[in-house]
Amino acid sequence: MTDIRTELMTLLNENRVRTDADSLGQYGLDWTRFHTPAPSAVVFPRSVDEVAAIVRWANQRKIGLVPSGGRTGLSAGAVATQGEVVVSFDLMRAISDFDPVERTVTIEAGVVTEQLQGFAAEHGLYYPVDFASRGSSQLGGNISTNAGGIKVIRYGLTRDWVMGLTVVTGQGDVLRLNNGLVKNATGYDLRHLFIGAEGTLGFIVGARMRLARQPRNLTVLLLAVPELDGIMSVFRLFNDGMPLTAFEFFSEQALGHVLARGHSQRPFESASPYYVLLEFEAPTDAETELAFSLFEKATEAGWAVDGIVSQSEQQAKDLWRLREDISESITPRRPYKNDISVTVSKAPAFMRELDAILAREYPDFEVVWFGHIGDGNLHINVLKPEDMPIDAFKRECERVSQWVFELVKKFDGSISAEHGVGLLKRDYLGYSRSAEEMAYMRAIKQVFDPNGIINPGKLVP
Amino acid sequence: MKALVAVKRVVDYNVKVRVKADGSDVDIGNVKMSMNPFDEIAVEEAVRLKEAGKVSEIVVVSLGVKQCEETLRTAMAMGADRGILVETEAPLQPLAVAKLLKAVVDKEQPQLVILGKQAIDDDANQTGQMLAALLGWPQGTFASKVVVADSKVDVTREIDGGLETVALKLPAIVTTDLRLNEPRYVKLPNIMAAKKKPLDKTTPADLGVDPAPRLTVLKVAEPAKRSAGVKVASVQELVAKLKNEAKVL
Repeated sequence: MTDIRTELMTLLNENRVRTDADSLGQYGLDWTRFHTPAPSAVVFPRSVDEVAAIVRWANQRKIGLVPSGGRTGLSAGAVATQGEVVVSFDLMRAISDFDPVERTVTIEAGVVTEQLQGFAAEHGLYYPVDFASRGSSQLGGNISTNAGGIKVIRYGLTRDWVMGLTVVTGQGDVLRLNNGLVKNATGYDLRHLFIGAEGTLGFIVGARMRLARQPRNLTVLLLAVPELDGIMSVFRLFNDGMPLTAFEFFSEQALGHVLARGHSQRPFESASPYYVLLEFEAPTDAETELAFSLFEKATEAGWAVDGIVSQSEQQAKDLWRLREDISESITPRRPYKNDISVTVSKAPAFMRELDAILAREYPDFEVVWFGHIGDGNLHINVLKPEDMPIDAFKRECERVSQWVFELVKKFDGSISAEHGVGLLKRDYLGYSRSAEEMAYMRAIKQVFDPNGIINPGKLVP
Repeated sequence: MKALVAVKRVVDYNVKVRVKADGSDVDIGNVKMSMNPFDEIAVEEAVRLKEAGKVSEIVVVSLGVKQCEETLRTAMAMGADRGILVETEAPLQPLAVAKLLKAVVDKEQPQLVILGKQAIDDDANQTGQMLAALLGWPQGTFASKVVVADSKVDVTREIDGGLETVALKLPAIVTTDLRLNEPRYVKLPNIMAAKKKPLDKTTPADLGVDPAPRLTVLKVAEPAKRSAGVKVASVQELVAKLKNEAKVL
């Protein structure tokens, strides 16, 4: 232990190597709460060269390294449980080389999502990848998990905004991948291999990010939907009728947890089993009128019974909070999270069958439904009963997950839509990937990280 | 009893305001405009009084450019019965607004006028008070609770050290503070219904008021940029900096 610390201090200034219990506990975990953190040290590099030096050292010493960003991950992709050294990107937060013509900008891995969004806004632009943890999550982590979030139906995933990457491979080589080029037909695009690799091939230390033009007058509708089946009918109606920037749903149960925090008011006088939140740009009255006529159709069909429209940015924000605060409001209940997806056209049938499975297998647990259903992504959160030990709870959820994942497989879906695989979903990867595919994944990992030191144990079984 | 509510169209609370390059004013080109939040509270209070049977009709009035119609429609979707737009392109200052509102009050003869305590754009906090003076009516400003009974209204105000309740004889002026109520969301069906509610237009000339500004704006400037923080190595250094640089010790 002591010599690891001493050796690391030859690579980095001593106050950027930490081994105190608080730091180890804090940086050894992400937002997942099922593991006991046990790293041997936390280091805070400031440059690409320092990261490369750490990786080369770890190769010689055969010590595992775990990347650490905003630690908002939900699949234990950034937890250190077996004496690894945690590499935190907290000190790499520079934004530079803004190009207003290309609308691109260079960021270091530790830049926080909200920081980039703010930078874009100052320049009259928009960074559209957005989610509730924007105030903590870092771009390096977003890229490593190909983060999705609430604007995917309009703006796609993090992958779509990465124009170039600087990575340090598991061997300690520095690669600069696609320097901002739109067109570059020169073979394997290794950039895309690193995006979503959850830090198993190497560390993402910087990126060239693309920005979008600012949306105009984003308007939010919240609809009260009485039946689970109605959610996708409302989606078809609106998605066919107008361009949407978001389409989310949540259950009354989810709303109950948000309201219990006391920061928000109940949107409708009476409760509805489900709610749909949708968002669109309304630069003129025409868009609002169109949305109203679609709403009338939805009520005539019985899919929606009531609706609210935001009258100001503040109201739009307040309505978004009803959806975005769900995750945080249920965290004290140690939720077991299923983050699953199917293609949108299969979603209605999938949701019906899933509902039946959950009702059958979890008769006594509280199950909270919400998700980015506009892109086929459901977040099913099972809450731990207060008096149940965490291990017994996790075992029970893992038992039910087998049923859920069998269903996902039957619908050709994904067992992890946007949270990644990490440690938590690793052993279930076979439900979404074939044995041959996983063999190729292992082979690729071997090329970039022959000593198996980069984020060991994650993603690839 | 008829209630009149004044609503102002302002730059949305969430917009980061920019100053025009020549320093003459705030740049409102392509900026989201919404109802002044304190006026939303005023509308909500009037609607609640109507729901409680204390008020029979709510007239909502706005002064300014044509787009103020949108603000009036929002108020009508919340529950106001009809709208009046005093249309003008001219910049309006609180005294002119108060004079115009007085002219509307003279015509409409409401028993209760509810306004936001101030608008979030100019933070003037003058219109309600000036209107009370021009009409010679009692005023209850910064209301956190409003109780209408018989021919009077009790207004509870948040003041230094506690709450003060004043009893006003109707007709009266009430200006709203933040904690009076939490405005409702606007229902989609009500937006549709609001389009059918009457919206009358008039002008300052029709009302016989000259809205010309009495005050001249010399300069509009952005707040000074905050300088970055520094880390100090020791308590001694901190104390030295507080003494010599911040001069707070």
